[in-house]
Amino acid sequence: MRAQFRIRIRIVLAFVVFIAFLILARLYFIQILQGQDYAQKADQQFASNSSGLFDRGSIYFTRKDGTLISAATLASGYLVAINPQTLVDPEAAYAAITSVASSSLTHAAFLAAAARKTQVYIEVAQHLSDAEGTALTAMGIPGVQVLRERWRYYPGNTLAAQTIGIVSYGSGATLTGQTGLEATYDSTLSRSGDVLYKNFFAELFSNVGRLLVNTQDAHQGDIVTTIEPEVEMRLAADLAKVNTKYSSIGSGGIIMDTKTGAILALASYPTFNENDLQNINPQILSNPLVEHVFEYGSIMKPITMASALTAGVVTPQTTYNDTGCIHVDGNRICNWNYRSHGAYGIIPMQTIIEQSLNVGASWVAEQLGQEKFRAYFTKIFGQKTGIDLPNETDALIGNLYKPQQIYYDTAAFGEGIAVTPIQMIRALGAIANHGVMVNPHLVSAIRLNSGVVQQLNWGQGTRIFSAAAARETTVMMDALWDKALIVDGVSARIPTMSVAAKTGTAQLPTPTGGYYNDKFFNSEVAFFPSFDPRFIILLYTDDPQHVIYAEQSLSTSLLDLVHFLINYYNVPPDRGFATTTSS
Amino acid sequence: MPSDTIAHKHPLHARRAARAFHFHLPFSPVSLCFGTVAVLAITYIGLIAVVMSYAVLTVEFSQSVRNDEATVATLESQYLAAVAQITDTNYVAAGYAKPIAKIFVPTQSATALR
Repeated sequence: MRAQFRIRIRIVLAFVVFIAFLILARLYFIQILQGQDYAQKADQQFASNSSGLFDRGSIYFTRKDGTLISAATLASGYLVAINPQTLVDPEAAYAAITSVASSSLTHAAFLAAAARKTQVYIEVAQHLSDAEGTALTAMGIPGVQVLRERWRYYPGNTLAAQTIGIVSYGSGATLTGQTGLEATYDSTLSRSGDVLYKNFFAELFSNVGRLLVNTQDAHQGDIVTTIEPEVEMRLAADLAKVNTKYSSIGSGGIIMDTKTGAILALASYPTFNENDLQNINPQILSNPLVEHVFEYGSIMKPITMASALTAGVVTPQTTYNDTGCIHVDGNRICNWNYRSHGAYGIIPMQTIIEQSLNVGASWVAEQLGQEKFRAYFTKIFGQKTGIDLPNETDALIGNLYKPQQIYYDTAAFGEGIAVTPIQMIRALGAIANHGVMVNPHLVSAIRLNSGVVQQLNWGQGTRIFSAAAARETTVMMDALWDKALIVDGVSARIPTMSVAAKTGTAQLPTPTGGYYNDKFFNSEVAFFPSFDPRFIILLYTDDPQHVIYAEQSLSTSLLDLVHFLINYYNVPPDRGFATTTSS
Repeated sequence: MPSDTIAHKHPLHARRAARAFHFHLPFSPVSLCFGTVAVLAITYIGLIAVVMSYAVLTVEFSQSVRNDEATVATLESQYLAAVAQITDTNYVAAGYAKPIAKIFVPTQSATALR
């Protein structure tokens, strides 16, 4: 009797175990092997998106006091969807929805959507505020669903738009960074999206380790940029004024920390509102400051001079006989003011920078020789800067590999070679930074989800010029600002602050290889305090109308930015002239 | 040597004694199995409840953080708009006169700087 009972118990136990194994096997097949297929089928029937609410890391501006301000974050609200199969009164539903929030669908399109009875989910309005969503939910309209929603939001709207970048679906099915920092740091900012919908059984079978330690936290996080929002805004405002005043094709500017390469502001005009990407020209999404190359004109002369001084082929005391015009390889090169001023005669090197003499720059290039000239310029412009933005373009310096001297003579004053604005400010920054070329960058740190703040190390930079050559070139640029630069009829000189500057005006190239006589590219650079600079500013405007020289088009903005930065950062005076000046 | 041990009894007596020993266990193996299964089942259900509660709390906390961030983003947007308004203000048009003179404060130690 007892033996029979034990046998029965064992049979029952074996049956239970067998059933349990069957269930486990079935669960394994359904949830592990076929889980995605079932999830997709379910999503197609009942949900808008299998990955749940959109999630993505933030991008931050950094104020001068270290406060982080969101450049890109997430906004929360509601979306409205209809189920045509259960929607009873489309007219009433449309009226109710539009009374609360403006639907992205027209009345006719809404009715057409409501008529699609084979579907159970059609989104009709997005980005509703909490109040709007709550109000619509309270109406309880049959067939109308009010669902929680999150989307990418840029509090600055147009602020640093090309630099911050955008997210979009692109060619895939998920929102990813397409331009700017959103693209460069996409792997850090992206979120897997499965956190909200963990399948308990599936996790037990396949991701026990991840339940305990989430490895994604070690590489996902928020990024902290070096961009100072108020400086960025000031730069953008100045560029907008220049571009509007002179009806330029476009204008751009960069403000960089000369010692570290941290970009404080990087802006171009025209720009766009990142929160409203409908009906914008896709070309405007690119960042001309790293993706376009330009011929800058005379702001290249300090680089030529610093190269020659470093090579030891000239000294600040070296003189040459300026004839006003020279002929090289059958081409005529003249000073910009030859017609009004004529030849300068025997003059020192400083006058070349101070008066921006093309003939002088060509003479310096000839003293340097083709091989050394090519070596210096290749070292400076031969590689991309490595800035953390996508699609950085190479400089066009192919002319420096040709034997004709004309290419070196013109490159010496910034024509015949084309570089990106970010390459240009890095090169000029080497003069400001005592001869060392830094690595420009936009992101200083990554705040990982694990709580660790990963500081990015951008290196110490590369020595390009000798410290003495950099200082001697700075003296020349400093003299230009104090003695030669006139802004709105008044000297730019600041009695208590030394500023080193250079203006540049280049003729725009024609598609056939020549140059326009009536189209110009204006550029201007300044760094201060001259001999221990904190900031370097580069501005340009492309094809300004009714103006020829950069001094006319850009100096007002440059001076405004210099004064703004001195005041905003409380830069102490670096020279002791107590002066009262009339405005 | 003791004379009343089972080993010294008749084999039949020894088997009966052993059976008697079995019957004197304070619980049956079946009860033990049922008890174990019950404990495991309750533990399993409890574990599921804990994990699901944890997941719900995590999701709610995560959403709460994101909602707070969205609120902060709204404030940041207002801050940036205010800065933009200040930056774009035309003070002359607003009625402010341009200063007739600027006084520059000299540095304390000029000799060490240049």
